[in-house]
Amino acid sequence: MSNIIKTIDVTDSLENLKEVCDIEDGRISGRIFYDQKIYEQELEKIFARCWLFVAHESQIPNTGDYVTTTMGEDEVIVIRQKDGGIKVFLNACPHRGNKVCFAESGSTRGFICNYHGWSFNVAGNLVGQHESGIYEASDFDKAKWGLKEVAQVESWKGLVFATFDPEAPTLQEYLGPMTWYLDALFDNQEGGTEFVGGCIRSTYDCNWKIAAENFVGDILHAGWTHDSAARAMLGGSVAKVSDFEESYSVNWNGHGYEFALDTVGNVAVLGESALNKYLHTIKPSVAERLGEFRANMIGAVSSCTLFPNFSFLAGQNTVRVWQPRGPNKIELFTWVVVNKSAPQEIKEKWRKGAMMTFSPTGVFEMDDGENWEYCTKTAKGRVTAAQDLYIGLGMNSRAEETSLPGNVFKGQLNEANARAYYQQWFDHLSTKRWSELPNRNFGKQEAE
Amino acid sequence: MEKVYLCKTSDLAENQVKRIDNSEHGDIAVYNLGGNYYATADLCTHATASLAEGDIEDEMIVCPVHWGQFHIPTGRAQGFPCEIDLRTYPVAIEGDAIYALVEVAAPALIAKG
Ligand code: FES
Ligand code: FES
Ligand SMILES: [Fe+2]
Repeated sequence: MSNIIKTIDVTDSLENLKEVCDIEDGRISGRIFYDQKIYEQELEKIFARCWLFVAHESQIPNTGDYVTTTMGEDEVIVIRQKDGGIKVFLNACPHRGNKVCFAESGSTRGFICNYHGWSFNVAGNLVGQHESGIYEASDFDKAKWGLKEVAQVESWKGLVFATFDPEAPTLQEYLGPMTWYLDALFDNQEGGTEFVGGCIRSTYDCNWKIAAENFVGDILHAGWTHDSAARAMLGGSVAKVSDFEESYSVNWNGHGYEFALDTVGNVAVLGESALNKYLHTIKPSVAERLGEFRANMIGAVSSCTLFPNFSFLAGQNTVRVWQPRGPNKIELFTWVVVNKSAPQEIKEKWRKGAMMTFSPTGVFEMDDGENWEYCTKTAKGRVTAAQDLYIGLGMNSRAEETSLPGNVFKGQLNEANARAYYQQWFDHLSTKRWSELPNRNFGKQEAE
Repeated sequence: MEKVYLCKTSDLAENQVKRIDNSEHGDIAVYNLGGNYYATADLCTHATASLAEGDIEDEMIVCPVHWGQFHIPTGRAQGFPCEIDLRTYPVAIEGDAIYALVEVAAPALIAKG
């Protein structure tokens, strides 16, 4: 059946983008957080084009299991097929566009539209309508009017991504060597990971990039912003990151991971000593599986964003998507990820710990939210929005001699990942298709 | 009364339903509910759907299109969007052959309520 989605026409790029984002010069400007025209460009040139996180396989184990989410502002249904595959459909009826699924998750035989009773099966095919005789008399071709299917869907170690763009590179190519680092959280034990509990949703009056950029490589804020929260959870201040002997910022295609090698710095802020212990217990087996280097990352002081809006913290085990809702609003979707093989009480402790720290009322989340909202709101001022913002830390910090994969920079107190992130943003907004996108990677594809 | 051959008992596992094409009387759905055989019209009384493509839940057949339900032994429609009862046929078993006994002048369909 031909329910394949129609791709959108890509409009011309905005002129003078360099005025608001000049990475070589180490500056951006607040306009990119507030401007409606820029936002519309992002929806078509980034969200209609890039691989976006839509689900974890563990959320939809059986045929007909589904979750609903959004890709940019487009609402979609992610549903397990009879053959074990996963399809992603626009959550909009092809008759008059009504939303067909109102639940966040569930298990179903299909979807029936509330408006005129078009009925779709798990595979998205239109199987019938109320008053079907009228359609038969109009020579209606059912095969052409199923739910619109998103162009590409792929999984990597339980994480399901989708893209609207049939020309997008494979997920593997898109993620590149970042997967080597992602293993530290998503493949450190046999059986991989699962999500526990549901999805926590909240809203912030901030631009989506300021949040994504915080996770791509801003550990700088932690010791300052989160001081009081850290004292509450740890009974002391956040680890002084500049004291770490070895730490890195690594990026590729605009994705970025900043990390130390202290094993438990992140997990410690959950205030659950059993979780520190669990990580120490599994560490030898992680070392066997992934090597000593990545065994040191499993709960270390670190954060990661996959371009454009998927982020996580290893240790706190919070996974999140910063869903854009206009230039100055986001809906934040968060989940808690755990090793499938972890004992039940450990999974439960992670769920609780993440709630205490990284949920709408979590002590760290609230600190961040306030800052991000004001980074966005100040840009409401037409003059303020035009001023330069500094993004130049660590300009010359490339790690020249390294066996690590990706574009590697020394030190996690570094804006190298943020620069790579905004550069990717700039490149997408400056081009119309994947084939025109410049390749700015210089590092190794694989670990040596 | 016409005796219409449906299928062999060995062709219909427990809690299965099968469509038998019949251009004269309309397609017939034949069911095996725990060793008891039943036959009904295959076409849903709401809109265009083959009930044999639906799921059996207890004694109900669930229409694959709008998930309306009919009680298999009596054909009784269970509610919106299925308001009109399903025609049922008495069944005869001879050896391993299943037959439907079809009244040639079909009775008018009875709307519920
Ligand atoms: S809008 Fe869905 S059936 Fe008409
Ligand atoms: S066609 Fe059977 S319930 Fe609508
Ligand atoms: Fe933070």
